Amino acid sequence: MPPRLRLIALRQFPTRPALQFRIQLQRRFTSSSAAPPEIYDVACVGGGPAGLSLLTGLRNSKITSGLKVALIEGQDLHKNRLPKHASLDGFSNRCSSLTPASVKNLEEIGAWSHASRPRIQPYQEMQPTTIAYMIENTNITTTLLSRLSELGGVDIFSPQKVDSISLGTETPSLDLSSWPIIALSSGKTLAARLLVGADGANSPVRTFAGIPSRGFDYNRHGVVASLKLSGPGWGGPDHKIAYQRFLPTGPIAMLPLPGNSASLVWSTTPERAAVLKSLPEHDFVAMVNAGFRLSVTDLEHLHTMPSGQVEEVAWREKATPIDARSIPQPVTAVQSGTVASFPLKLRHADTYTGERVALVGDAAHTIHPLAGQGLNQGQGDAAALVSTIEQAVLTGQDIGSVLALEGYNSERYAANNAMLGVCDKLHRLYSVESGPVVGLRSWGLKAVDAMGPLKGFFMSRAAGGA
Amino acid sequence: MNPLRHTFINRCQTTTPRPKEYPALPDKLRYLDIGCGGGIFAESAARLPNTLSVTAIDPTPEVLKIAEGHRRRDPKLIEEGRLTYLNTSIEGLPVPSQETEKYDIVTLFEVLEHVNAPRPFLESILPHVKPGGWLVLSTIARTWTSWVVTNVMAEDVLGIVPKGTHEWRKYVNEQELRDWFGKREGWGGVGAVKAMGVVYVPALGWKEVPGGEGWGNYFFAVRKDF
Ligand SMILES: Cc1cc2nc3c(=O)[nH]c(=O)nc-3n(C[C@H](O)[C@H](O)[C@H](O)COP(=O)(O)OP(=O)(O)OC[C@H]3O[C@@H](n4cnc5c(N)ncnc54)[C@H](O)[C@@H]3O)c2cc1C
Ligand SMILES: C[S@@+](CC[C@H](N)C(=O)[O-])C[C@H]1O[C@@H](n2cnc3c(N)ncnc32)[C@H](O)[C@@H]1O
Repeated sequence: MPPRLRLIALRQFPTRPALQFRIQLQRRFTSSSAAPPEIYDVACVGGGPAGLSLLTGLRNSKITSGLKVALIEGQDLHKNRLPKHASLDGFSNRCSSLTPASVKNLEEIGAWSHASRPRIQPYQEMQPTTIAYMIENTNITTTLLSRLSELGGVDIFSPQKVDSISLGTETPSLDLSSWPIIALSSGKTLAARLLVGADGANSPVRTFAGIPSRGFDYNRHGVVASLKLSGPGWGGPDHKIAYQRFLPTGPIAMLPLPGNSASLVWSTTPERAAVLKSLPEHDFVAMVNAGFRLSVTDLEHLHTMPSGQVEEVAWREKATPIDARSIPQPVTAVQSGTVASFPLKLRHADTYTGERVALVGDAAHTIHPLAGQGLNQGQGDAAALVSTIEQAVLTGQDIGSVLALEGYNSERYAANNAMLGVCDKLHRLYSVESGPVVGLRSWGLKAVDAMGPLKGFFMSRAAGGA
Repeated sequence: MNPLRHTFINRCQTTTPRPKEYPALPDKLRYLDIGCGGGIFAESAARLPNTLSVTAIDPTPEVLKIAEGHRRRDPKLIEEGRLTYLNTSIEGLPVPSQETEKYDIVTLFEVLEHVNAPRPFLESILPHVKPGGWLVLSTIARTWTSWVVTNVMAEDVLGIVPKGTHEWRKYVNEQELRDWFGKREGWGGVGAVKAMGVVYVPALGWKEVPGGEGWGNYFFAVRKDF
């Protein structure tokens, strides 16, 4: 009998031993009137791209599909889903550039075919090969959720926040003193053989595990917005190009989306981010155009104006020679309500694993967005953790033991650390110098070009690693 | 070391030809772990999805107590019938009267080198193996390398095991096991005898070394004919 069938059967018709176990626990808990914790092999906190990819991988693998798994997500996963026939006129302001390696992993776990393809924009450099795919984060999570519901077998607690995590207790028959017990906002409790923290940069799981996370704040914000351009791009709809310009305050990037749409990520000082967010829409549009066209001095002045950027930019552009085809086509409009900003920081947890704990995605590391790698690193983490768990299951190890998890930590830590370091160096390099006034063909990669050997580093990560 | 045990058992089962009448491996396996010690292998075998039950025996009450205590940390292992510890030597374990109550996998890890008379000891194990089942063991060869490792490195230099744990003269060589089973009717037919040499690499752990069964630690397995 396949292991998956057996587990389902066990849960539906508890065998005698399982019942006995329940009753014992209940007796112990009756005095405190709380229900006993439900026992899971894997409890994943966080249903972002990393957590969903991990669970999909676990459910998709024949080896791990016998594990009992739970997902806890504070937000309403159902509400955040991308509507089936969403209009191609509007795009979410949270977009990511998925590397071919991440796409390959999504294919392997059977998810990629569920993606809403018309909303995904592959982009190329000057050669015909695709470097990466621009995709809305909600498209990724919706894709993974569709695959997960097709696979079934995950107990989903959403929207439910983790209230507390503590260690279990010891009784003569069962010793859960090394097991994390997760208390949900509903009052339900879960005991986890392996607790996965896929709970983002402020990971409560990481805090519970006492794993320090070190780094610093860039004192920069990433301003994002969904934009409309005057056309589909200089290469037409079938040859899309990503642009990035380095400014002393940080890079400004324009990433292609389907049709005339594009996604903006502008790293800048918190003060300038506040100015940009406060501008009327037409002035904001003018500022983005200026960001790719005007001099550093012009930009400095423009940020001091409360409004009227449209006229000011038009006037200054006349005096600035530009090669139009080397920069993005002009922005004509910004989608209402999509201008937002996020503080940028670099963080790296001291380790990704502890007794009965593993961290994936932003819970383990937060990176500068300039090379569009953060989400991809989380996909790499999820895939590596799945294969570590597979290995442990095959050899009968306790998948929560430090020994069983060791392989995951050693596989991912060094790789992520190298990526964090390179992106940080790029940021520094260009924050002291004033940036070249040229359009960039692909996000981050042109800057990487300038650094010679580092280009190979990014290209190999994009294709196979990350 | 423990993951390698499963790798080896798996290899034995999947790479040995089976008779036409018994084309498929059994869905669920019954394990007997002899000299289970603290229960590292027994626990791991009990967690495998295709395990029906694990019976783990050891005559030393102290180690069995440790094993019992450790088992309580995993709710899966306290499910009834999944993992049973018995405080007995193999000589004291009754031989099942029914073939179906015998074991698909009988394991003997790091025990043979402690036994005074290996031949009668092995004799007492054989009746517990099901037809088509495997006896799988790991031990250390009696060679000059193992002499150095045992008497100088392991005990004095590396301190891996306390002094006096091992008596080099008791070691059994892989070739001796091969010869002994080769003469035995009903064992190891159609090439169902397997070995794998392993070596301890500091910082990396136990690794397979081709040919290592000739000079150091090794796994050995033999199938009872169907
Ligand atoms: C401006 C900007 C641009 C970016 N651009 C790119 C890009 O182009 N390419 C790229 O690869 N990456 C990019 N990134 C990074 C990327 O967005 C993140 O790396 C990615 O979203 C991290 O995914 P995750 O699943 O690890 O965490 P998250 O997406 O943060 O998910 C964590 C989840 O955990 C849940 N959660 C947290 N606490 C609790 C709790 N107590 N109880 C229950 N649930 C909880 C949250 O609700 C959330 O859903 C960018 C980031 C920024 C800020
Ligand atoms: C070195 S320990 C090996 C423990 C365990 N198999 C391992 O590899 O971790 C050897 C064990 O064999 C047990 N033993 C010795 N003679 C035995 C016998 N006749 N029958 C069963 N077990 C025996 C001892 O009690 C001891 O716990």
